[in-house]
Amino acid sequence: MNESTLFLITFILYIISAFFYFAFLFSKKESLAKTGYRFAFLGLILHSLALILRTIESGHAPFTNMYESLSFLGWSAIFAYIIVEGKFKIRRAGPYYMLIVIGLMALASSPLMPSEATPLIPALQSDWLWLHVSITMLGEAFFAIAFITSIMYLAADAKEKKGVDSKTSLTADKLDSVSYRCVAIGFPLFTLGGLIFGMVWAYKAWGGYWSWDPKEVWSLITWFVFALYLHSRIVMGWKGRRSAVIAILGFLAALFTYFGVNYLLAGLHSYA
Amino acid sequence: MKSFLKTFSSVKLAIFLLILITIASILGTLIPQQRTAAEYAARYGQISKLLVQLQITNLYHSFWYICLLFLFSLNITVCTLTRLSPKLKKTFKPKLEKETRKLLALKIHERYKKNWDLTRTRDEVKKSLTGYRYRIKEDIEDERAFLLARKKALGPYGSDIVHLGLLVILIGGIISGAWGLRRQMNISEGQVLPVPNADFSLRLDKFETDFYPNGSVKDWRSTLTVIEGDKDLTSKTIEVNHPLAHKGFVFYQSSYGWDWQNPTLEIWVKKTSDSNFLEKMSLKMGEKHRLEEGDTEIALLNFIPDFIIGEKGEIATRSLEPNNPAAYIEGWQEEERVFSGWIFAKFPDFARMHSDKPSDFSFEFKDFQAGQYSGIQVSKDPGANFIWAGSVFLMLGLLLAFFWPTREIRFILEESQQKTDIIAAGIAQKNKETLESEFASVMTSLRRTK
Repeated sequence: MNESTLFLITFILYIISAFFYFAFLFSKKESLAKTGYRFAFLGLILHSLALILRTIESGHAPFTNMYESLSFLGWSAIFAYIIVEGKFKIRRAGPYYMLIVIGLMALASSPLMPSEATPLIPALQSDWLWLHVSITMLGEAFFAIAFITSIMYLAADAKEKKGVDSKTSLTADKLDSVSYRCVAIGFPLFTLGGLIFGMVWAYKAWGGYWSWDPKEVWSLITWFVFALYLHSRIVMGWKGRRSAVIAILGFLAALFTYFGVNYLLAGLHSYA
Repeated sequence: MKSFLKTFSSVKLAIFLLILITIASILGTLIPQQRTAAEYAARYGQISKLLVQLQITNLYHSFWYICLLFLFSLNITVCTLTRLSPKLKKTFKPKLEKETRKLLALKIHERYKKNWDLTRTRDEVKKSLTGYRYRIKEDIEDERAFLLARKKALGPYGSDIVHLGLLVILIGGIISGAWGLRRQMNISEGQVLPVPNADFSLRLDKFETDFYPNGSVKDWRSTLTVIEGDKDLTSKTIEVNHPLAHKGFVFYQSSYGWDWQNPTLEIWVKKTSDSNFLEKMSLKMGEKHRLEEGDTEIALLNFIPDFIIGEKGEIATRSLEPNNPAAYIEGWQEEERVFSGWIFAKFPDFARMHSDKPSDFSFEFKDFQAGQYSGIQVSKDPGANFIWAGSVFLMLGLLLAFFWPTREIRFILEESQQKTDIIAAGIAQKNKETLESEFASVMTSLRRTK
C-alpha cells in the first residue's frame, strides 16, 4: 500500500461520509449522521497513515508543496471537526463542512498539483517547518468550522426572525456559541503557529523576524479580523449577525493568506 | 487630560483604528512596495507620483502608518490601564455579598438548613471548598458569615497580559527599526571582510554547495572565522537555517554567486596561415600573457557572464548566471595595440575582433573559472529579544483568557436556634457547565456530612 493509494481511499471515505451526512440532512435520521461521523473518523486514520508514509518516503515534513499542503489541510480540517463534533454535537454542520474537505482533497488530487515528492530546498530544511505549518493549519481548520457555523447562523437567524421553528437542537444561539468556541481555539493556535513560530523561523532563516512580505501581512490581517471578532463580541457585546459576518470575513482572509497570496501576490513565501 | 483619557480608553476607537490599519495593510499588499519610481510610472501612469508622495509605495514604513500603529498602541495602553484598577480592586478587595436575595437571584444557587452551629458550618464549607482548590475570603457579623470562594483568579488578567505582550512586541519593532542593521556581505574564499559597525572581521575559510542527485541545490555551507584584532576567535560552518551569532551580530547564509571580477579564462590561440598552430593559454583579469611565438601580448580587460547588447547599443549583462560568457581581449605589440574585441564561449564563430594592424591570430574562448562567493546576511537586531518576550506574554495571556476561566462560589450562612441556613450561589463568565458540576459536588458533599 503506497501513499497515493491510501490518499485515494481516504478521499473515497470522506465522500461516503459526506453522502451519509447529506442523507441525514434530508431524512433527519440521527443514525445516518453517526455513520457519516464514523466514516470521517476512519478516513482520518487512513489519512494519518498516508501522511506518515509520505514523511517516510520523502524524508521531510508532509507539507512542502501544494499537493502535500492541501492534503495536510484536509487532515487538519477533519481532525478539528472530529473534536468539535464530539464536544458540541453540530451534526447539521457536517454535510457542508465535508464539502469543504472534499474540495480540498479534490484540489490536491487535481493534475494541476504536482504530487511527486521533491527534495527540500535549503530554506525549508528546519524543524520549524513542522511547528510553523502544522499548528497554523490546525488553527485554520477551526476557523473553517467557525465559517460554516457562522453561515448556518445567518440562515438560522433569518428563519427564526420569520417565525419559522427550526425544529432542531442546533439553534441560532448554539451556532453562535459554537462559532465563538472554535475561534477561541483557532485564534491561539493561529497566533502561535502562524505568527510567533513564523517570526522565530524567519529570524533563524532570513535574519529578520518580520519582512512585510505579503504572506506575513495577510496572516497579520487575518489575526486583526479575529481580534476584531473577539473585541466586538466580548467588550462591545456584538453577538449574532455582526459577529457571524466578521468570523466569515476572518476565514476568507485566512483562505486568501493560504491560497491567494501564492497565486496573486509575489513574495518570500513563494514556495508554499 | 481627562478628555484625552476618555478618547483613548474607548474600545470603539480601538476597533476603528484596527479597521483602518487592516485596510492600509491590505493596500500595501496590493501595491508592490519599495520599487523604483520608473516601475511605478510604468505601472500606474499619472497617479504614480501621488502614490509616492502619500508614501503608499513604502507604506509599512510610512509616517502615517507608523502614526496609526502609535495611536493604536496608545489606545491599547489606556484601555488596559483604565480597566485594570477595577479588576485589581475586585481581586484584592472584593465585596462580600451580604444580601440573601441577590445570591438567590443568580442562576446557579441553592439553599438549605443544616443542624450545625455557625462555626461548624463555616468549617465544613471551607473544608469542602479548599478540597476543590478554592481560595476563600470571609467576614463574620453576629450570627451571619459571608464567604467568597474563588479559583483561577488570574483568568480575567489574560487580556491585559495579551495587551502587554503586544506592546512589548511593538517596542521591539521600534528598537529593531531604529537600531537594527541588515546588510549583505559577499565574501570569497580566503577573503577577510570587516563587519559593518562592529569591531571584528569575518573570514570565509570554505564555501561549498551540496546538490541532490537530481541536480538541485541541497544546501550551501560557509565556514566562517571571526577575527578580532589579529586573533582567530571562533569558527563555525553555517548553512541556511543555521546561522552564526557573535556579539549581538548574526550571520546568515543567504545566497551565493560567482566572483565575476576575477575570472580565469582558458583561451586557444590559432593562426589563419598555419592550421597546425595551437597555443592554449590561461588568462587572468588584468594580466598580460606573451604568446610563445613572436612578440604579441594578450590582455584580458573585461568579462561579462551573460552578455547582451542593450537598447542604446551598450554592453551589459542580463544576469549574474554564466549564460552567455563573453571576454574583451586586446593584443599588444611593443606598446602598441594591434587588435581588440569580444570573444564568446558559446559562439566561437561569432568573435568580433577589430584589428588596428593586420593580424594572423584568432582566439577561441574555451573555458572559464571564477571563484564562488558566499552571500552572507549580517543582521544585528536588538529588538528581537523583545519580540520573543512579547510573544511569551501574548500566548500566556491568550491561554489565560480562553482556557483559565475564573469561578466564584459565594456563601451566606445564617444561624438561628442552633441551626444554620446555607445560601450558596456560583458565578462564572465562561465555562458555566464546569462550574455547575463543581458547585453541585460541593453542595452534595456538604449535605452528606453528618
